[in-house]
Amino acid sequence: MTTATSPRSREFVATVKLLTFPLLILAMFGLFAMFEPRIASARNLVNISSQSTYLIVFALAQTVVLVPRGFDLSLGNAVSFTSVATALALTSSFAAGLPGYAVVVLGLLTGLACGTAVGLFNGFFASVLGIRSFIVTLGAMNICYGLSATISGGRPVFNVPEAFTTFFYSGTFAGIPAPILWTACVAIAVHVVLSNTVFGRTLYLMGCNPRAVEVAGLPRRKYFAIAFVLSGALVAIGALMLTARTGTGEPNLGGNLLLQAIAAAVMGGVSLSGGRGGVFHAITGALFITVLSNGLNFLQISGYLQQIILGLVIILAIALDKSRD
Amino acid sequence: MTRSKQASDASQNELLRLTGITKRFPGVLALSNVNFDLKEGEVHVLFGENGAGKSTLINVISGVLTPSEGAISLYGQPFRFSSPQDAREQGISPVFQEFSLIPDMTVEENLYLGREETTHGFLRKKEMRRAAMRILARLGFGIAPNARVSALPRAQQQMVEIAKALVTDPRILILDEPTASLTEAESARLFEFVRELRAQGVGIIYISHRMREIRDLADRVTVLRDGALISTVHAQDVTDDEMVELMTGRKAGVLYPRIPHNPGNVMLEARDLHTVRDRVRDASFQVRAGEIVGIAGLVGCGKSELVRAAFGLEPIDRGEVQFDGDTYAHPTAAQSLEHGICYFPADRGAEGLAATRPILENASMAALPENAFSIRGFLRKGSEKSRVQEIMERLQLRPMRLFAAVGSLSGGNRQKVVLARGMTRGTQVFLFDEPTVGIDVGAKAEIYALLGELVAEGAAVVLVSSELPEILGLSHRVYVMHNARVVAHLEGDEITEDRILSHFFTDHTDAA
Repeated sequence: MTTATSPRSREFVATVKLLTFPLLILAMFGLFAMFEPRIASARNLVNISSQSTYLIVFALAQTVVLVPRGFDLSLGNAVSFTSVATALALTSSFAAGLPGYAVVVLGLLTGLACGTAVGLFNGFFASVLGIRSFIVTLGAMNICYGLSATISGGRPVFNVPEAFTTFFYSGTFAGIPAPILWTACVAIAVHVVLSNTVFGRTLYLMGCNPRAVEVAGLPRRKYFAIAFVLSGALVAIGALMLTARTGTGEPNLGGNLLLQAIAAAVMGGVSLSGGRGGVFHAITGALFITVLSNGLNFLQISGYLQQIILGLVIILAIALDKSRD
Repeated sequence: MTRSKQASDASQNELLRLTGITKRFPGVLALSNVNFDLKEGEVHVLFGENGAGKSTLINVISGVLTPSEGAISLYGQPFRFSSPQDAREQGISPVFQEFSLIPDMTVEENLYLGREETTHGFLRKKEMRRAAMRILARLGFGIAPNARVSALPRAQQQMVEIAKALVTDPRILILDEPTASLTEAESARLFEFVRELRAQGVGIIYISHRMREIRDLADRVTVLRDGALISTVHAQDVTDDEMVELMTGRKAGVLYPRIPHNPGNVMLEARDLHTVRDRVRDASFQVRAGEIVGIAGLVGCGKSELVRAAFGLEPIDRGEVQFDGDTYAHPTAAQSLEHGICYFPADRGAEGLAATRPILENASMAALPENAFSIRGFLRKGSEKSRVQEIMERLQLRPMRLFAAVGSLSGGNRQKVVLARGMTRGTQVFLFDEPTVGIDVGAKAEIYALLGELVAEGAAVVLVSSELPEILGLSHRVYVMHNARVVAHLEGDEITEDRILSHFFTDHTDAA
C-alpha cells in the first residue's frame, strides 16, 4: 500500500485546515456587515476585540483542563465568587487609603487565591481521589454559587477602587488597552506552557492515553491536579478583568460564561475527549462566539433567542468534535 | 497448479466467490483485482504481511466496505451488501481484531446486542440466558453469562467475541487473528471448535500470522501482498518457507538469530515478590547483562504481572526488587526508568501509545525528564527531534514521518515506536511483554534481530511471551510460571518444548 500524498501536499492540507475556521469567522462577519454596515465600523472592530478578550481567557481556562481529558463546570460560578470576594477585599476598610499599586496587588492576590483555591479543590478530588471531573466540578459549581451569594448577601459590591479598574480595564499601556494586553500575556504564557514544557506535553499525551503516560513514568495525577490549579488561576484573571469592567463585584457575573467558554473551546477545535487543541483554537473559538453575538445584537435579535442560538451552537460544536475523531 | 486442484473440489458447494475485487481509498489502492472463493466445510486462510489488504478484504466480505470494482456472488447468486447487518442476515459473521463488546455490559447482553429476543417488546431474558449458556458451553471456556465483560481477561473477551458471532448460526465465519491473545492450550481448544464447525459445513475464513495454526487448520491458503492476490494454494502442497516467500516476496531467512550468551552483572533481581491482588505469589527472578531471560506460562499465570510489578506498575504486597545497587519494596515506573529499566507493554493500544499524537511525542514520552529532552521542565525540541530521528533510523521506520499520528501506522511500525521509547534514554534492562503479538513475520524478524543487537551491546533482556517457539528460539534461560508462581528455572539444554509444557500443566508446587 502506498500513499499518493507527498509531505508538501500534506503540509498544504494542514495549513488549509488551520485557516478554514478563521475564514469562516470572516465570512460570517461579512454576512452580518451586509445587513448592517455599522458592524464593519472601526469602532465596532475595537469593540469586538475588547469584548472577545474575556471569553478568550475563559476559553483558555477550559482548554487547559479539556486537553488532559478533564472538564470544568465550575468556571462560571468561580468567576462570580472571585469577583465578589475581590471586590469585598478592595472595598473593605482595611483597603481604604492604600496607594494605587497596593490596591492592584491586593486585588490580584485575592483573586488568584480564590481562583486557584477552586482549582485546587477540583484538582484534588479529580486526581487524588479519581472522581470524574464532571462530577467534582458540578459540586464545585454549586459550592461557588453558595459562597458568592453568602459573602455578598446576594447584592453587587459597589465602589471598586479606580486604581484597580484602570489597571485591568480602562488603562492603556504603550497605547494598548489593558484587557487586550493582559489577554495577550495570558495567551502567550499558556501557549508556552502547553507546547514547550514537559508538563504541557504530558497533558496532551494523557488526554490521548492516560495509561500510556503512567507506563512512561510521567506523574499523571500530579499534572492533572496542576492543570486544574492553572485553569483556576486563568479563571481568576478573567474574573478580575470583568470585575474591573463593571466596576462592581457581581454575584451573577458568571451566568452565561460557562457555556460560552465550552462552546468557544470546542468550536475552535479543542477536543472534548482530550489530547487535541491549543491556544490558537481557544482564541478563534472565542472570536467566533463574540462575532456571532455582536452581529446578533446589531440585528436586534432578542437575548432569549440568542440563548437558543448559543445552545444550538454548542451542540453543533460537539457534533463537529465527534466527526473529527 | 491451483486451477486443476480447485476443479477437482467442485463437489463441495461454493458459499462465496469474489471476482476482480478492487478497493480504492483516497490516495491508496488497498485491493487490486483480487479473486477469492470459499467452499462449504473448509478453512480458508488469508495470509500476508500487515498492510497486504487482508483486513480490507474481510471488510468487503462482511459488508463494512463497498468494493470500488468487482463482483460478489453468495451461495451461487450475485449479491451486493448494503451494510454489515445485511451481510449478517445472509449468514456471514465476522470476528474482528478490534473487539466490538461493550465493556460495561454482561456477556449475555453483549451476545444479543442489537438482536434481543422479545415478546411484545419485552425481553425474553430466560431464553436468551439459556441460549447464551449453550453457546458458551460449546466453546468450553467456563465463562459465566452474567459476568461483566470488563472484568474478563482479554483471552475470555476474545471467546465472547467469537460466541457473539455464533449466536446467529452463521454459514460463513470470519476469524481475524483469533489466537493473538490466547495461550497454546486455549488456542488448541479453539482449533477443535473450528474443526467441529467445519465438519458441520460452515465455511471459515481465517487470518493468522502463525505458521503452526495454518498447518493445523488450513485447507487452502490465499496469499496477498501489497493489495494484490499472489496465489491460492492447497495447504498440504507448500512448505512453511515457500509460504513465507510468497508473502514477503523474498527468500525466507532464519527467523531467530543466534544470540551469544555473555552473562555479566545482575542488572535486575526480584525476590519473593507478592502482588496485592495475588496475581503473583512469592516469585523471584533475575536477569544479567548480556542475556535474554524468557518467562513462559499460560495467559493469566501471572508472567506479565511479575515484570509489571518489578517495573512498578502493579502494587506490591511483600518482597523486594533490586537494581543498580539499591533495594526497593515499592518501585515506581519513574524510578525504574531513571535507573535504565524500561517496560514495553503487551497491549500497545491500551498502554503503550497515544494514538492521536505524533510519532515523535510517543517515542520521547518516557525520556522527557532527561537532560537531552528538557531543561528545568522546558522541552528542548530541536534536540528531541534529532535524537528521535536517529533512533527511528536505526529501527528502520518506513516511511520516516516523525509528525504522523501513531494511530495511522501499521502494527509493526507501532511496535517500533514503542521500542524507540526504550532507546531514547540509556536503557540497560529491557522488559518485553509479548513483543510480537499481532506483528507479521517480516517485522518479527526485525525485532528479533534488534534483541540480538541489544544483548550483544550488553543489555539485559526479559522476554515475556505466550508464544513458545519465540521463548525456545531466543532465551538463554527460562522461568516457567504457573498459577502465579515461578515453578521452574531452565538453562541451556534444559530448554525444550516438552520440559516447558510439562510445567505449564502440572500443579506440583501448589501442594506446598
